[in-house]
Order: sequence, then structure tokens, then C-alpha cells
Amino acid sequence: MTDTAANPAALAAKPQTLWSTAWRQFRRNRLAVICLGIVAIYVGVFLYAESVYWFARLRDIVPSYKVADFAARNAHPSAAHWIGTDFAGRDNLAQLIQGVRIAFEIAFLTSAILIPLGFLLGALAGYFGRWVDNTIIWLYSVVDSVPSILSIISISYVVGRGMKGIVIGMGLVAWVGLCRLIRGEYLKHKQRAYVAAARALGAGHLTVMLRHIAPNVLHIIIIVFTLAFPRFILTEVILSYLGVGITGEPSWGVMINDAKQRLWLGVWWELGGATAAMFFLVLALNIVGDALRDALDPKLKTAESSKA
Amino acid sequence: MTAYIIRRLLTVIPITLGVLLLVFLIYRVIGGDPAVRLAGKNATPAKIEQIRKTFGYDKPKFFNWQEVAKTSSPLAAFDSQFWQIVRQFAQLDFGKSLQSNQRISRMMADGVVPSLCITTPIFVIELMVAIALALLCAFYRNTWIDRTFVVISIIGMSISGLVYIMLGQYFFSFELGWFPVWGFEGVNYILLPVAIGVIAGIGGSLRFYRTIMLDEMYQDYVRTAFAKGASHKQVLFKHVLKNAAIPILTNVVVAIPFLYTGSLMLESFFGIPGLGRMTVDAIYTGDEPVLFAMVFIGSVIFVIANLITDLCYTWADPRIRLQ
Amino acid sequence: MQTTNDTLLSVRNLRISFFTDEGEVRAVDGISFSMKAGETLAVVGESGSGKSVTAMALTRLVPAPPARYVGGEIIFKGHDTLKMSGEELRKVRGAQISYIFQEPSTSLNPVFTIRSQVAEALELHRRDIGIVDAEVERLLALVGIRDARLRMSDYPHQLSGGMQQRVMIAMALACNPSLLVADEPTTALDVTIQAQIMELLKELKQKLGMAIMLITHNFSIVADIADNIAVMFRGKIVEYGPTQRVLRDPQHPYTKALLECIPRLGAHKDRLKTINHAEIEAALKR
Repeated sequence: MTDTAANPAALAAKPQTLWSTAWRQFRRNRLAVICLGIVAIYVGVFLYAESVYWFARLRDIVPSYKVADFAARNAHPSAAHWIGTDFAGRDNLAQLIQGVRIAFEIAFLTSAILIPLGFLLGALAGYFGRWVDNTIIWLYSVVDSVPSILSIISISYVVGRGMKGIVIGMGLVAWVGLCRLIRGEYLKHKQRAYVAAARALGAGHLTVMLRHIAPNVLHIIIIVFTLAFPRFILTEVILSYLGVGITGEPSWGVMINDAKQRLWLGVWWELGGATAAMFFLVLALNIVGDALRDALDPKLKTAESSKA
Repeated sequence: MTAYIIRRLLTVIPITLGVLLLVFLIYRVIGGDPAVRLAGKNATPAKIEQIRKTFGYDKPKFFNWQEVAKTSSPLAAFDSQFWQIVRQFAQLDFGKSLQSNQRISRMMADGVVPSLCITTPIFVIELMVAIALALLCAFYRNTWIDRTFVVISIIGMSISGLVYIMLGQYFFSFELGWFPVWGFEGVNYILLPVAIGVIAGIGGSLRFYRTIMLDEMYQDYVRTAFAKGASHKQVLFKHVLKNAAIPILTNVVVAIPFLYTGSLMLESFFGIPGLGRMTVDAIYTGDEPVLFAMVFIGSVIFVIANLITDLCYTWADPRIRLQ
Repeated sequence: MQTTNDTLLSVRNLRISFFTDEGEVRAVDGISFSMKAGETLAVVGESGSGKSVTAMALTRLVPAPPARYVGGEIIFKGHDTLKMSGEELRKVRGAQISYIFQEPSTSLNPVFTIRSQVAEALELHRRDIGIVDAEVERLLALVGIRDARLRMSDYPHQLSGGMQQRVMIAMALACNPSLLVADEPTTALDVTIQAQIMELLKELKQKLGMAIMLITHNFSIVADIADNIAVMFRGKIVEYGPTQRVLRDPQHPYTKALLECIPRLGAHKDRLKTINHAEIEAALKR
């Protein structure tokens, strides 16, 4: 109840956007900030790994992680190989680093399919309602009914195995979650006064959808991406097990599956390394995602389809 | 209310048809010629043609207009691949496995019981343990007990199920020899898979149920209950639990696909002759008819489970039941 | 109305703080007041003045991890509630000191019937009652719910806001409390229902003789029913005295400002008055 006419200081106070308030709240969660740092480290490793990959590819040389040394197979961790070597004598640490690259590539490529598809269909369904909504609901109910692993396998079966199949498969399955959330938001926002005001001023449907409502739901996309990333990593492990995984490049799933046989011979460092590398990224992303959700929109916690 | 139930029941049909359409599109349309895939490498055109005829891949995919022109019977339009599948599946005839030439419906019937022996105990135990722990967290909220469980559940969720299985099998079967590694001959063959399944999944479940419980704890009616003089125990078990049952019920069905995935890996690692292992084998051998059928059945299960939970939810929440 | 000289409630130097990441927030900063049996005290102030926290603190209903009872005493019928054990407190809550809250729609449990919620209050404290249903019916009729017998098997969402609040009152009175704490009981209701509920409280006060602590930010409902008024600002009581005196002759600048804020029908004004908190704080420091 401050009298702003007599108190210009109140007027000049910094505007509190959703982002600045959220960031402040996020910052207070020390664990989340630490995990954000961990994710940043992984991003750094990803960039490094990409450069190694492209350097080798463009110069047409064999990159270090593919150098096989049969004399030093299954070597224990040592000064030369910090996490030992695998069954072909390749350095495990170098492979793990490439695993980071594969994990990020999968996440980005899958999101490139999932985000546009989920957002667009959700926005159309929520905004236009009626038969558009019914059709889209039918569509995502159908996709959602099929157990996701089977969908992904089926799709990669016909599209081609390896990275292409995995990414397209996961993308075509994961869009449903985002779609539901976005649809809910658009349904809500459609009723708001600012939308009526925009329409009264002559804004067309597309403008309202994209210019007015969309900025209010962007935070959902960020949260969904952050929480979906670890899920993609974990799914890739299972897909590798089922034989639909990446070939030729060392992903964590490939490494874990390869390590299966050697575990029983007492060789545990390959499995341990891959699990640990994966674990920290997945853990950090989950914690950051949770904290983001708490800071940006706590109501999403129990909303449909935000369950991991 | 009854109108809602009827409407809800009716949505099952378009969704089931939609699933069939989706799977059909994937296997028969998008993937190119299935006959070529089945014939494998080094296949002669004659062989491909033979496969086509045997499986009916030479028929048009959706509507057979040529037949209509020939016989002037509108029903002939439905003599196509898609509608043939619809007819077959409606009679629960899923064709034969390419690998073993067995009737797939027979294989499924054989595989259901072993799968249920694994998935049902996992589902029930995980549900009970997770809800009990969630209540504990709600009781001790903001204390170290609550925070420890949160940390444990997030850590648990961040390790791949595969790793749990591999390590579990390694330590408890191989090293310690407490449990058999492979097979399905008695009760002790399912103890380890069930235990691993529960441990692998408990992290995610606990986190979810805890959120629900805490949400309820912060509701106004909890404050009223305390103000009336109710004890913590009464508030949790009488007031909170009954309200929490509604969102729990709605989301219990989400656990089912995980049972599916879990059973894929658990069954193949532990040699349980259930539907999961059947599916994994089909993936390895490229046994399309089996995959097609499994995908379809998986979806039907999910659709029915969704339907049941929706109906339970409508019944359980008086705000919806009495409109 | 009973008139005894026994002091029912005596609050002395109560201090409650919330410890957040931004430091200590003194929600209640050393307040003292007392109530006699049968007295009606109105605690008036803006949001954040600490009035609700004070009310909840009487039976330690303020959740203790974010908050902390830093100091002071709350003597109710001779015993300090801040020092009572959990079990003793539970005997006081609902039986000696009862509450009604602001939002009746969310304060009632949506999945239990009206009957079972009122019955719960009885089952917790009056085990000796023979037929619970009869008593529930009587209580619902007492608060003015027609067709109490039919209404009993309804769920909260089937009732209007005014009726929900009446049910809350019935629950609160089930065990003949000596003190009824009403925390903004009419704020969430519309104006005509507000008047009805306040009438009901007045009526019940005359019939049953319990003391009432009325928490509100709305001066207009206070004049009719309260014997004394305590005005709270930023955790402190800045004015305390008999209703008529406070309303006619306010001493503290904050009270004066609050009273001036009340828009009066028919008055010709160009601007509505607002409160300048900086001035008030300065006045407090003097």
C-alpha cells in the first residue's frame, strides 16, 4: 500500500520478472548450484570430446580413443590408462569422454524433434480446442499407450539402427509429455484477460499463440528438457542392451553392456567408470531440473507426465 | 456420471484402432517392404515374391479398390492388409512366429504366468514400501530423515536398471551363490529378480509419492485437523492418506510401462520364460509378427489400465462422483 | 453473558520468529494482552502484522521448523501452553480452544462427509456421548443449517461458502470450548453472508458464553461484537483498549490511519487514503 506518487523510489525499483525471481530462488539452493556446476563441467567435456572427434575425422586419422592395443587388453588402472583398458586395449577414460559427447548429442538431437513437435501440437490443441484438441488428444493417447521401449525399438528397427534410429525413436515418443503440459498451459492462458485484450486489439490467432502466450510457457520447455536429458541417457543404456544401440562409437550404454561379460572375470573398472560418469551427470541434471521446477512452477511437480 | 463412464469406455475403441494403425504404419509402411526385410540378405526376387504372397503383403495396404471394381462389392474394399490385421487381432489371432512357427497367441498364453510372477510382486511390494516411506517423510518433514530419503531416492534413480541387474546378479548369484542365476523352476528363482526390480524402481516411486504426501500436508484441512486436536498419526493415516489416494491412484498406472521394461531385462537376464524374454528374443531375431503382436498387447494393457484407474479415480473423489 | 473476573488467557511478552535464508523475521515481537472469560477481543491489523501467527500460537499450531517460539508465555487457565507436552496440547485443541479459519472450502476435508468431520471433533474429546449422530444434528441446527439430517451426508463441496463456514463453527463448538479463535472468518465470503456469519457468532456468544478472539483486517465487523480491540503492526501491539474508546479516540497514528482508510458511504472524497508505513515506523521508534 505504498503511495507511489509520494515515493518515486518504489516506481524505479527493478522489475521482478519470473526469471530473476526464479534465479534468486534457485541460487539459494546450494545443492542445485553445485549440480549446475557439475553440468557445466560436463558441457566442457562435451565440447572437448566433439573437437577430438571432428579433428580426427577431418584429418582422417584414428582418434586416440579408438587406438587398439591388444597387448594391453583389460589392463588394470595404471598411470598410462587411468581407468584401464577394454577388451581391445582401448583406453577407457578416453572412451568415457566420448561417451559424454554421445550423451549430449543424443539429448540435443532428440530434443530437436521432441520440442518442436510437443510444443506445436500442445499449443494447437490448447488454443483451438474442439476437434483440433480431440484429434491431438487421440494422437498422443495412441502414442502414449504403446510402451515406450517397444515404440522406440520398432521405429529404429525400420528407420535404421544406431544414432538415427535412437534419436528419431525417442523423439517421436517423448513429445507426448511436453505436449500435455503445453496444452494445459494454453488452455489456461486462453481464458486470461490479456489474451482477450490482444484479440480485441486485432491480433490474429498465430500472433496470440506465439507472441503473447508462448513466452509464458517457455519455462516449461526448459524444465522438460532438463529432466528428459537424464531419461534419454538411461534409455540409451537399455536400447544398447537390446541391440538397438550405437555402433562404432563408445556410448555409455555400449560400454556398460560390453562390460557385462568381463564383470564375471573380476574386471570391474570399465563398468564402474561408465556407471560413475553417467551417474554424476544424471544425478546433477535431476537435481537441477527439480530445483528449476521449484523455482519456476512448483505446480508442475504433480502434473501428469512430469513423472520421470 | 454414467454418461462420463460411457464416454470414457467409448474412447477405448478409437485409441486401440489408432494403436493398430500406428504399429501397422511402422512395420508395413514406413519401414519399406517387409518382405525384403524378412527375406534377409542374399534373397532372390522369387523368394521375396513368395514371402509376399504367403503373408499377404501383395495386397494393398488400406483399401482394396481394385477388388471393388472387380467384384462390385463394397465390402471388398476391406480385403487389404490393414483390415486383415484388424480382423485377425479382433479374434486374438496374431499369426505365427517366424522363428519357431508357433502360434503367437499360444506363446503369449504360455508367457503370461511367468511374467506375472515377477511383475506382480514387484509392483505390490514397491507400492507398499514407497507409500510407507513417503508417509514417514511426511511425518518427519524438514528433518534429516526426510532429506536423507530424498537423497537416497535421487541417487537410486540415477543408476541404470541394467547396472542394478548386473551387479545384483554378480554379487548375489555369482559371488555369494545365494540365488540361482538362471531359470524358472521354483520360488527361489524369482526372489532375486523381484528384489532387484524393487530396489531399482523404489527411488522414482518414493520421490513421486513423497511429493504427493507433502502436497497434502500443506493443505488447509490438515491445519484444521490439528486444530481439532488430532494427533500426527491420525492426521497422516486418516486425513492425508485418503486424500493422497486420489493422485496415487491416477498415477499408479504410470508404473505399468516400467514393469514392462523391467520385465524385458529381468526376464532375459534371469532366464524367466515370460513375455519379456519373448519380446527380447524377437528383437534379436527380427521376428516381426511377434513384435507386432507384443506392441499391440502392451498398448491394450495400458489402455485398459488407464481406463480402470480413471474409473477408480472418478469413484474415489467425491467432488467428481457427486456432480 | 457470564461475567467472572477470572483471567482466561494471559499472553506475556510473546515472541515468535521465522528463520529464513534472509535472516530472522520477527513475526510476533513481544506482545502482551489478556482475556477474561466470555470476553470478545478483536485483533486488527494488515497482512503480515502477526495477528494470525499470534492466534495460531495459542495452541502451538505454528509449524515449528520454519518458526521458532523465541520467548514469552501463554497462560491459559493457569497453564503455559508453550510448555505443554504434545498430549496435553491435543487435549486443549478443539476442546478448550477451538479455531475457525478463513477459507472454509479448503479448511474442510474434501473426501469426508460433514457428519464424519463434526463427529471427529466429538470422538476426539467427548467419548461419553451416546449417539454421535444426534449430537451432530443438534450442532448443525445450532449454527443455523436447515435440514441438518440431510446435510450431514453431504460433502463439503456440495455446500455454499456460508454453509461451509457454519459447519466449521459447528465443529469448533462441538466440545464447548472456553475460547473460540476466529481467524478472518468472513474475509472469503461475500458481504451479505459476512453479515449472517457475524450475526451467528454474536448469537452463539450470547447463548454459550465462550470468549472469542476475532482476527481481522476489517474494522467494520468489529464494532458490533468486540469488547476490546488490539491493533497490531509489524509484530507489535500499538493500541489496546475497549472498542468504543479505540474507535472514537484512537491514540496511535497507525490506528488513526487505519480508521481513516475505511471508505464511508456518502462521503465526498477525491482520493482514498492510504497508509505511509515509513511514517508509522518512525512514530513507533519515538
